Amino acid sequence: MTPLSTRFKQALAGTFKSLYSILPMILAVIGLVGLYQTIVTPQMLHSLFSGAPLQDTLIATLVGGVSVGQPFLSYIIGGELLKEGISLYAVTAFILAWVTLGVVQLPLEWAIFGSRFTIMRNLLSFIFALLVSWVTVATLSTLS
Amino acid sequence: MNTKQAPKPKNRSGWIMLLITLLLYGVSAFLDVSIARSALNKSLDVLKMIAPILLVVFFLLALMNTFIKPKSIVRYLGKGSGLKGWFFALAGGVLSHGSSYVWYPMLSELRDHGARDGLIVAFFYARAIKLPWLPLMVGYFGIVFTLVLSFYILLGAWIQGVIADKIVAKI
Repeated sequence: MTPLSTRFKQALAGTFKSLYSILPMILAVIGLVGLYQTIVTPQMLHSLFSGAPLQDTLIATLVGGVSVGQPFLSYIIGGELLKEGISLYAVTAFILAWVTLGVVQLPLEWAIFGSRFTIMRNLLSFIFALLVSWVTVATLSTLS
Repeated sequence: MNTKQAPKPKNRSGWIMLLITLLLYGVSAFLDVSIARSALNKSLDVLKMIAPILLVVFFLLALMNTFIKPKSIVRYLGKGSGLKGWFFALAGGVLSHGSSYVWYPMLSELRDHGARDGLIVAFFYARAIKLPWLPLMVGYFGIVFTLVLSFYILLGAWIQGVIADKIVAKI
């Protein structure tokens, strides 16, 4: 049996080869994140909402899905939207879509996991952003 | 686990994507240099933030390849892993740190060695619970909202995993 140290060295070499192979895609995604954060401002996101709960929930899921950045940004934008009278359904869907959907990293997910997995996972995340926001607000209404 | 790695993007899609991104930066710089500079600074900030996590993930991957046998992965995350599998996927998702794409190589490796798609789907959705940011969520939306949402995220992650397994079984 191969000694442990040799196996570890081989494994390290393998993982760095793996890192090297996905590095261009990771750098591309990071570059797109920077561009997105510079060009798309929170004010632009605010302006997309109309105040109609159903329409806003769908828009919020789509906007959350294409947004990138730290999760706390979605809480801050969501908190501001709530203050401006946007429904809690829409704000919850926005927060969920922000962290569970990822249009910017889609090419990387597609390249690593394949088309079937990527489409299935993103579709499920989209549907569940709507469902989870609905049951969350319904539960809160029942509790209050 | 054997040392065969999974450099998934076998084609040149990564390089093409990088080239497109560079072209977009070129166009931005042509239109307004300050936009390109600001975007580059933001990207460098992201890179600085994820680089240590990425290195930890790849070190974990090397350890996993050295010590864990594929049979163990199948037992804990494969078909018939039962409650154990769901527990590892949901807890792993909640505890995992950093951007989701940092975890792609490790999850892909686990998948190649028998981990179910449903568990990977559940892992990704459970990542919607961001432990370090929960106090901020409580500050904005209240403790009840945070608890109810976190509960439904975990439930949703599990249901999505079950649905994903059923879809995969039918294909």
